[in-house]
Parts: sequence; C-alpha cells; structure tokens
Amino acid sequence: MSDLVHTFDSSLMQRALLEALMAGALAGVVGVHVVLRRLSFFTMSLTHATFPGLVIAGMLGISLFTGTAAFGLLVVVLIASLARVRRIDSSTATGVVLAGGFALGVVLISSQPGFSKDLTGFLVGSILTVTTADLVTTAIAGLVILAVLAALHKELVLGAFDRDGLVAMGYPVLVLDLVLLVAIELTVVTTIPAVGTILSVALIVAPAAAARLWTDRVGPSMAIAAGIGAASGALGLVVSNQWSIAAGPTICVILSLVFATSTIVSPRHGLLTRRRRSAGPLLAIGA
Amino acid sequence: MRLLTDPFQAGFMQRALIEAVLLGVVGGVVGVHVVLRRLAFMADALTHTVFPGMAVAFLLSGSLYVGALVTGVASAVLLTLLTRNRRVTSDAALAVLLTGFFSVGVILISRSHTYTADLTVLLFGRVLAVDLAEIVATAATGAVVLAVLWLLHKELVLRSFDPDAAAALGYPIGTLDLVLNILITLVVVSAVKAVGSVLVIALLITPAATARLLVRRHVGLMMAVAAAVGAIGGWLGLVISYEGSLQHGWRLASGATIVLTLTAMFLVVLAASAVARRRHRPDEATDESTTDHPLLDPHEPLIDDAMAIGSRP
Repeated sequence: MSDLVHTFDSSLMQRALLEALMAGALAGVVGVHVVLRRLSFFTMSLTHATFPGLVIAGMLGISLFTGTAAFGLLVVVLIASLARVRRIDSSTATGVVLAGGFALGVVLISSQPGFSKDLTGFLVGSILTVTTADLVTTAIAGLVILAVLAALHKELVLGAFDRDGLVAMGYPVLVLDLVLLVAIELTVVTTIPAVGTILSVALIVAPAAAARLWTDRVGPSMAIAAGIGAASGALGLVVSNQWSIAAGPTICVILSLVFATSTIVSPRHGLLTRRRRSAGPLLAIGA
Repeated sequence: MRLLTDPFQAGFMQRALIEAVLLGVVGGVVGVHVVLRRLAFMADALTHTVFPGMAVAFLLSGSLYVGALVTGVASAVLLTLLTRNRRVTSDAALAVLLTGFFSVGVILISRSHTYTADLTVLLFGRVLAVDLAEIVATAATGAVVLAVLWLLHKELVLRSFDPDAAAALGYPIGTLDLVLNILITLVVVSAVKAVGSVLVIALLITPAATARLLVRRHVGLMMAVAAAVGAIGGWLGLVISYEGSLQHGWRLASGATIVLTLTAMFLVVLAASAVARRRHRPDEATDESTTDHPLLDPHEPLIDDAMAIGSRP
C-alpha cells in the first residue's frame, strides 16, 4: 500500500500525472461532442493522418505541436471536402485520408534512421517523458478549446440534435461544424505527443461513450466523461508503475474496462438493468 | 516499359509482386462492399483488433494467421454485443474495441525485447520478405473470399442498396452481414502479416472508392475496376519504391509507397471526374454547396447500422 502512495514521489511521475489528468479531462469534454455526432472514425483518422506533420516538424526543427496542428487543419479540410464529393461518403473519405496520410508520414520517416523507434513513440506515446513545455502546451491549448466549447455550447449541442432548427434560426452552421472539427483536431494534436495516437482516440471516445450510459444530459455527461478520463489516467499510471507495464496502453485498457462495466451496470441503460426492467411494468414508455 | 518489369528479376521482388497483386485484386473486390456499406471504420478496427492475437501467436511462436483469425472473429462478436445497447453508437463501440484490443496487444508484445521492431513489422509488414507459403495462404484465402462473394453477389448487392426489399424477399439480413464481416476479417488476416495493417486499410478502401468514381451503377464492373486499380497500384508502388531506393537513394518503405500510389490514383481520378462533371453540367457544383449538408454528416451513419445485428427488434 505504501508503494501506491509513493507512486507520485518523483517529479517524472508528477509530470506524467498532471498530463494524464489534463489530457483526460480535456478529451472527456471534447469526446461528448465526438460521440454525439458519431465522429469517432474522423478522430481516429486525424490521429493517423497528422503523422506527416510530426515528421515534417521534426525535419524542419519547428515545434511538433505547430507542425501537427498545421497539418491537422489540412487533414480536416481534406476530409470535409472529400466527403462532399458525390459518391464519396464521409466514411470512405475518412478512410482514404487516414491511409494516405499515415503512409505519407511513414514514407517520410522511413528515409530517416531510427525509424521504428520514433514510430512506436508516436503510436503508443511516452507519457513518462513529458516535459514541462508539453504540460504548458496541453494546459494552454486545453483552456482555449474548453473556452470555445463553453462559449458555443448551446449552438453546438443544438447542431448535434436538431440541425434544421439551427439552420432555421439563422446560425452559420458550416462555420460551427468547422469550429467543432478544428477543436477535435487540436485536442488530438495536443494529446498525441504525450499519450500517442491510440490512447488519444481512447481518451476522447471511451469516457464520453461511458458517460452517455450514466446520464441523458449533455452538460453532466461532459463532467462525468472528464472525471472518467482523468481518473483512468491516474489509475493507469499507478498500475503501470506497480507492475511495470507500458503506461499508455494500461490507461487504454482501463478506459475500455470502465466502458465495458458501464454497458453492463449503468442504472438506466445497462444490460443487467434493462433485462430486469423488461420483466417489469407493462407501461414503460420511457424505456 | 522495361522500367516496369526490370525490378522483378530478383526472386524476392517477384514474390512481393505476386502478393501485392493478389491482395490488390481481393482487396479491391471486397472493398466495393466495404465502400457501398460504409464499413471503412469496421475494416480499420479489424486491422487493429487482430493485433493481440498476432502478439500472442508471436510470443508463443504459433501461427500468426490463426492468432489473428481468433481475435478478429472475437472482436466481431464483441462488437455485436456492444451495439445491442442502443445508447452506444456503433462507431463509438468500434473505437473503444479498437483501442482496447490494440493496447492489450501492445502490452503483450512489450514483453518481448525486440519490441519496437516487432511492432513496426506488424503495422507495416514486410512485403519484400513474403515467402511462398504466405503467397499460397493468401491465394487460398482470396479464392474462398471471391467464391463466396460470387455465390452471394445478388443477395449482398440488394442488401446494400435496398435492405427493405432484401428483408421482404426473406433474405437473412443478419446472416448476410455476418458473412460479409467474416470475409473482411479473412482479407485483413491474410494481408496483415505480409503488408501490415495500414496497407490493408488502403487496399480495402482506396481502390473501391476510385472505382466508385469511375463506374456509375454496375457493381460487378465496379469490382473489376477496383481489382484492376488495386493490382496496378501494388505493381507501380513496388516499382517506385525499388527504383527510388536503387537509382536515387531514397529509402521508400514499400508498403507505404503502395498506399501513396493508390492514393495518387484516387486523387487523379477524382480530379478528372470533377472536371468531366463540371463540363457536362456546369450548374451542378453550386447545387451541392448548400448549408443543409453538414461538413461531416452526423445523420449519415459512418458505420452501417445493420452492423448492430442484435439491436434489431
């Protein structure tokens, strides 16, 4: 037990904890929008297709965040405009860009020595080596993203549920769409250097999908998702430190377990509780 | 012309070519269903969920093929269970499964000391190191997949375009969906070891998307075009990576070069078809740019809802 308490004694683990808490909370909030609008595949695609940005930034010696953020904007525009082409649906557009973008990154990086090591870091992250600069980037980007989401909360939520209503009220819907896609993009590129592509997707989707099983309201589900994201990050670090397992994948597995547990035991939508209700009253209209 | 054949004098390049063309053809044909049914994310998820099975097989020195197949099928079943819950959309369920399975695979393989190299091979394959046994396995799997697609062609196509009519005719929709998912799993499994997970996604989506731009309705013709695009992309990609490495000293990873070649073919066809369409009906372009369509349509299911077989009443 004393081991567990002392997990975060070193400054290395403290930085990792801070990053996990911030990334978890940020991704949880953004993830609620992702899940509401079914943008999981878009998120997945972003994590892979921004890879060339990272490689190019490394080659040019500019900041990795700037490189991936700029390249990510390109990817967003590319997917959104491809999806508007006739006979290309958004799923196909997303898939084509995912594969093409990632392959471009691989071709670029394969010309450099030490290629497989960099790639592994990109995929599974290295949260234990986050620097103070990374933390500052996450904090600032996170605050900006959360401020924008808070300011446009009503419009974005209405856009997810009743787009026609939003159009009728005269809101610039395409601009709102773009703002949301860019917010997701910035969340992805903010979290990737620390946690890697796979965990970035997991942090965004899993807590929000789990939160949706616990509440019907958007605001509270953001709070729950942020809590699940941050808590899973902290718990993952403890577990990974205790049994020396890679930190990123451990957090990922914990997130999946939280989600799986929620699908079974959540009070209103869980598999267990639903089964019990089906044997219940004849008139259960809200079910 | 010599440029296109010269690289294939060495045995390893011939084997790579056969494997790439085989997978290009099979991937293109199956890919038409993937694109028509919007199963791109499903295909992407499968390439990741087979990973823990391959990791276990790798650590136990067992067959990667069997390992991948076991977790591939297991993830298809789990996905069905997860999407039984209507609160969980199929795309979110896929994302959670994908990341969870993949992480288990990474944790397992991080126990091996050649960790980063192993991970890279599983992601990008080694198309240049394909051996005869793998080619035979790919050819056999491909033959089975194509035969099933041929036998069920009418049913699967009707199910894509008009699920209500297919159901009214008494076709077992759930079973058809399951068959298609298993076929996709088989292609992923047979390809992932040779060419890596990222190339598999490209082979399943990009040639079929290209064919869909070129062919209007005829699904059989679309499949033929997709197969041709997949095969040509594999061939050209190998030539480019070989010539680039040999003549110009660029070290181009062969699998990724094939993906880029396929993407370039897609973009060329896209540009050509846009020009052609604008010439025919100049006013059509303005039609589409209304604000009624979201940037990424939330109501257009990214994953076909019929994936959730169990959620049907």
